[in-house]
Amino acid sequence: MERVLLISPEKCVGCGACELACSFTKEGEFRPAMSRISVYHFEPGINVPMTCQQCDEAPCMEVCKTGAISRDEANVVQVDGDKCIGCRMCVMACPFGNMAYSVEKKTAIKCDQCDGDPQCIPFCPTNALEYVPADTVAVSRKKLFSAKFAKLVEEVTK
Amino acid sequence: MIELSIDGKRVTAEEDATVLEAARAAGIGIPTLCYHPGLPPDGNCRLCLVEIERKGKRELVISCMYGARDGLVVHTRSSRIWKARSFVLKMLLERTPDDPLLKRMASHYGVAFEERFHVESDPCIKCGLCVRACEENGTEAIGFAKRGWEREVSAPFEEPPRDCTGCKACAVVCPTGCIDVEEEGDVRRIWGKDFRLVRCALCGERFATEEELAHMGLEGDEAKYCQRCRKMLFSARFLVGL
Repeated sequence: MERVLLISPEKCVGCGACELACSFTKEGEFRPAMSRISVYHFEPGINVPMTCQQCDEAPCMEVCKTGAISRDEANVVQVDGDKCIGCRMCVMACPFGNMAYSVEKKTAIKCDQCDGDPQCIPFCPTNALEYVPADTVAVSRKKLFSAKFAKLVEEVTK
Repeated sequence: MIELSIDGKRVTAEEDATVLEAARAAGIGIPTLCYHPGLPPDGNCRLCLVEIERKGKRELVISCMYGARDGLVVHTRSSRIWKARSFVLKMLLERTPDDPLLKRMASHYGVAFEERFHVESDPCIKCGLCVRACEENGTEAIGFAKRGWEREVSAPFEEPPRDCTGCKACAVVCPTGCIDVEEEGDVRRIWGKDFRLVRCALCGERFATEEELAHMGLEGDEAKYCQRCRKMLFSARFLVGL
């Protein structure tokens, strides 16, 4: 069954364990700058973990000319590093800044949900990150957020 | 799906796969210099030579362009292939003797540089990956010019290319790293053309060229903020949205 990575910022304590788990899994080193998930600290106690939203209409995928970005069976947007030619159009196209580029690996990098077993999840001490079945409850929460977000964007762009 | 035999091993492949793709998917290594999985093959370097069996005879073909088909028998290791690849490397090394990748491949095949003709060394091996990357990006700013020995990658009329956006994909895919990209202050210089780099309105990082943003038709936040700042801004909005 399809699952979604659910983020609940209100539960986040800003420990950054997800960033360390991610960069260690993906790069073999504890380097938050290379993490696919980032935690932003705004005011004391207000933290937001942010990672790829796996958009239904993914702008990164739309601009990729070499077919390096595709959607897998689990509905996750994946980057095939071998096919990436380093034009970085996807990095520029993502409105949410969730696509990055690795100069060392010469490829675009993003959250790939660790092939169905996101490593950030077990390290989140407060369940601010959850990997849940895309059932009605989870999806409705996501949709609720999307609707609010769309309204907000509308206000901002007015 | 189709089934073919590579080095005596049964290999299944997609209908439209090339012999090279079928071999690599099955974990059989074939050396290449001008091949890139994300770009159409062009058969320039001739290193991926393999033998196929046809009408009882063995034929040398370039695996990056040769379509795999059902029942095809392929050999990737034979003294004939070894000899052919060695010759290709010898020729490449003749003109590009200092490239580390080429040297490594040559030493694997037991080929050493020996000066047969006195020629000026050229770091470009004319693989055309940069040209194909540019084409694929929809910019088509560079191409091959002149013929034979003088063939070279160039912008039209050797002038700063009008259509180049300064994306650097050509330099990323170049196997010998011979495309110069210079960045100084707010200017990126490539193919003799200067590009003004756009600074992020929040952190000041130079994140794209003006031409890249125009090529992609980006406006709004994508043209204003760098990737990291966009991520931060999105998370701030995420918070407000909840």
